[in-house]
Amino acid sequence: MKKRGIGIGCAWYGTGYGNGFPDVSSAFVEIHDDGSATVLTGAVDVGQGSNSIYAQIAAEELGLESQDICVYSADTDVTPDSGTTAATRQTYNTGNAVLKAVRQAKSRLLDYAAREFSCPTIEGIELKAGYIGIKGDPSRRMPLADMVFKARLHGQRLISAESSTARSTPVDLETGQGAPYWPYAFGSQMAEVEVDTETGMVSVLKVVAVHDVGKAINPTQVEAQIAGGVAQGLGYALLEELELQEGRIKNPALSSYLIPTALDVPNIEAFFVEEAEETGPFGAKGLGEPAMLPTVAAVINAIDDAVGVRITSLPATPEKILHALAVKKEELAKK
Amino acid sequence: MIEIKFVLNNKPCALNVEANERLLDVLRNRLGLMGTKEGCGEGECGACTVIIDGKTVNSCLVLAPQVDGCQITTIEGVGNRQSPHPVQKAFVQVGAVQCGFCTPGMVLSAKNLLDKNPQPNDKEIGVAMSGNLCRCTGYDKILRAVKLAAEEGKG
Amino acid sequence: MNTTVVGSRVLREDAWGKVFGQTKFPADVNLPDQIYGVVVRSPYPHARVREISITQAMEMPGVVAVLSAKDVPHNSHGVLFRDQPVLADYIRMVGDPVAVVGAETLEIARAAAKLVQVDYELMPAVFDPEEAMLPEVLPLHPELCPTNILYHMPIRRGAMDKGWALADVVIEQDYRTQHIDHAFLQPEALLAYVDERGHMVVQTATQYAHYDRGEIAHALGLRFSQVQVKTLAVGGAFGGREDISLQIIAALMALKTLRPVKMENTREESFYSHSKRHPMRMHYKTGASKDGKLVAMEAKIIGDAGAYASWSINVLRKSAVHATGPYEIPNVSIDSYAVFTNNPFSGAMRGFGAAQTVLAYESQMDLLAKELKISPLEIRLRNHFRVGSTTATGQVLTSSVPLDQCLAKIAPYLQKGEDT
Repeated sequence: MKKRGIGIGCAWYGTGYGNGFPDVSSAFVEIHDDGSATVLTGAVDVGQGSNSIYAQIAAEELGLESQDICVYSADTDVTPDSGTTAATRQTYNTGNAVLKAVRQAKSRLLDYAAREFSCPTIEGIELKAGYIGIKGDPSRRMPLADMVFKARLHGQRLISAESSTARSTPVDLETGQGAPYWPYAFGSQMAEVEVDTETGMVSVLKVVAVHDVGKAINPTQVEAQIAGGVAQGLGYALLEELELQEGRIKNPALSSYLIPTALDVPNIEAFFVEEAEETGPFGAKGLGEPAMLPTVAAVINAIDDAVGVRITSLPATPEKILHALAVKKEELAKK
Repeated sequence: MIEIKFVLNNKPCALNVEANERLLDVLRNRLGLMGTKEGCGEGECGACTVIIDGKTVNSCLVLAPQVDGCQITTIEGVGNRQSPHPVQKAFVQVGAVQCGFCTPGMVLSAKNLLDKNPQPNDKEIGVAMSGNLCRCTGYDKILRAVKLAAEEGKG
Repeated sequence: MNTTVVGSRVLREDAWGKVFGQTKFPADVNLPDQIYGVVVRSPYPHARVREISITQAMEMPGVVAVLSAKDVPHNSHGVLFRDQPVLADYIRMVGDPVAVVGAETLEIARAAAKLVQVDYELMPAVFDPEEAMLPEVLPLHPELCPTNILYHMPIRRGAMDKGWALADVVIEQDYRTQHIDHAFLQPEALLAYVDERGHMVVQTATQYAHYDRGEIAHALGLRFSQVQVKTLAVGGAFGGREDISLQIIAALMALKTLRPVKMENTREESFYSHSKRHPMRMHYKTGASKDGKLVAMEAKIIGDAGAYASWSINVLRKSAVHATGPYEIPNVSIDSYAVFTNNPFSGAMRGFGAAQTVLAYESQMDLLAKELKISPLEIRLRNHFRVGSTTATGQVLTSSVPLDQCLAKIAPYLQKGEDT
């Protein structure tokens, strides 16, 4: 018989290195004569798409499009140290560093522009859609490129270097009390499974995942990151296990160490919740790790809902499920 | 050494190869076609997918002499910036690309599916893509991209 | 805040190069005159290297150099402690690198690696973390800690006796998680060479180029200013590219031979050359009052750190801090341990210690709900963190805690289809 079950998982995750370890990111920025700009940062884009996030952050701040920004990263001869691409910290932390650096380079331009526009404060100047001009007076503006070019002719150089440090303090060694991480990210997921009571096989039919991202800088990347996390969570819950014998790996191959394929992954509905994190770039916080956390729980709880057995050791293999079903049957018989 | 002739990305190609040389190594090391990736070397991951005579094949499992007389398509033979293949366009638009290591193989599997079956259903897409492993995307956007490419093909 | 580019579905610039197969991963770059490096790894989990004989390997035509521990200027690296050898003369896990062969072709390098003769003095090994914790077991890193307990983090909040007195239902259960691998699609690869400036250049895929630069410089006795780590496209990482894998070994070979050195792991080598997710044993006891409020929780978490420290301290700290789940519990006692064994070393992997505890705390929630005869959703709604909540470490969550919104979005989906 194939029995259906649903389960929920909730999780939280303190992002950043934590525990008072200096969690610093840096960025260099240069605004060019034609109004385009380059961002240099040490943050490695490991495939999750951080470079394109930085382009969006810089473009937003300069009133440009993403393709007007060149992001070059992770070359130690060229880029400043931005810490490791881990701990769900690059959108938040390096994002903050990029934003600070862009603002710093921009502030010189604003100073210059304020004088050009006879505006006594830079607060009156805005960068929008490739133009720089007076807030509230669309007739007084010029292409950003023209202003940059002028500023540079007058010896201004629109370059900057900035760092951003995440908040974190060490916890007490005896009691563990303290504020080790900031910010925290949250998420919850549901899974619907079908358990074959004859074979113990679990098919995951659906996963709905909702994650708190502060602000989705790029919704497409958010959804992709969530789906990737869910798939890894499914592998962790149902498939993957390194078999060790006296410290030797018995399955060091993708034919014996099984990760999910396109057929193992169900329809994933990925949603996000935006409640701005005030310390993040445009309110954003990280998502990378949280995306995979609730999946395991949702699946294990769904298995229990389907067939009434509690799997307490991962992965929930067919053997474990059949064994648990047999034990349950025996117990029922005794009663 | 064995002389083999084949058509590679629509161009004739002749080479002398060792009997035990893998097609993957010929493509990468001799012909400099680095778009074909090696992820496992045992035909499990699909990163080295190429199309031989209309079939997707793991080039790590093919010996070079076997392709004598064959038509081979690698990722370098599918689209470019001026005219991307609909599958390539869809992958970019949908956001099906993360680290990108599996991407060339994925694109070739999807292209070959649509060449054979321009309007596949979800199951057929899943089966066609199941020989290509991806660790980043959870496949969700990849499957959506294949669907989108199929829809674009309708018009 | 009104934004136009932020929040929009901008297409990734890098995606185009990837769909055309143009993007260069480290395996895709080569230099004229390069040699190929292959690592000789220990088949034993705990041993001393008595002697390495390279004569046979060196006699093979095409072999350029065979290097071992004695050739490494400063033979250590590590993210928290430099407790991991570049090339080992004391083995703590199967797969520890013992020697590296450099040869004109990859085939020659692989063949010659088999000819490197290593004489091992085998030592007793320990694979069970609870056994490894016993004081009589030989410590694997006496310079770091006198026993194999690398780290213990206690969390104490409230008063347990008071908490248990308030509990109408209590669930006590053991949970276990397994060793898993990152299985990123692109195995480790790199190209290392001394360039025209006399600088060491390492082109690789890493999570942290600046860290790699520091470790390469340290091990080889170079200045940071003389080492360039250039990150090419990274074929997935998930924590598995945090620690050094081949970077120093390749740079060492390049420095000794003054030839560009190409190295590329097979999938099997890859399994042995990066960290694993910590397997954990978790004992949980959780109590709730009959109105469905959590009142007390005790947890003991033992993480298998394997052979080297890597990030284990931080990982088990994260396990402890997150052990309650996103729920308010006024009385909490948690003990989290990282323990050395002769298993493959554990380190960073997506979720970083907070992934394992989810199994335990969320199972406990469902088991409690069942006892209390309320729904899994309901028990979560009654206990989840909100703005102003205090965590087990006493931290007040001051803003952006939208778990209520997440659950509200999930709720309509909590329906299942029919059995068949």
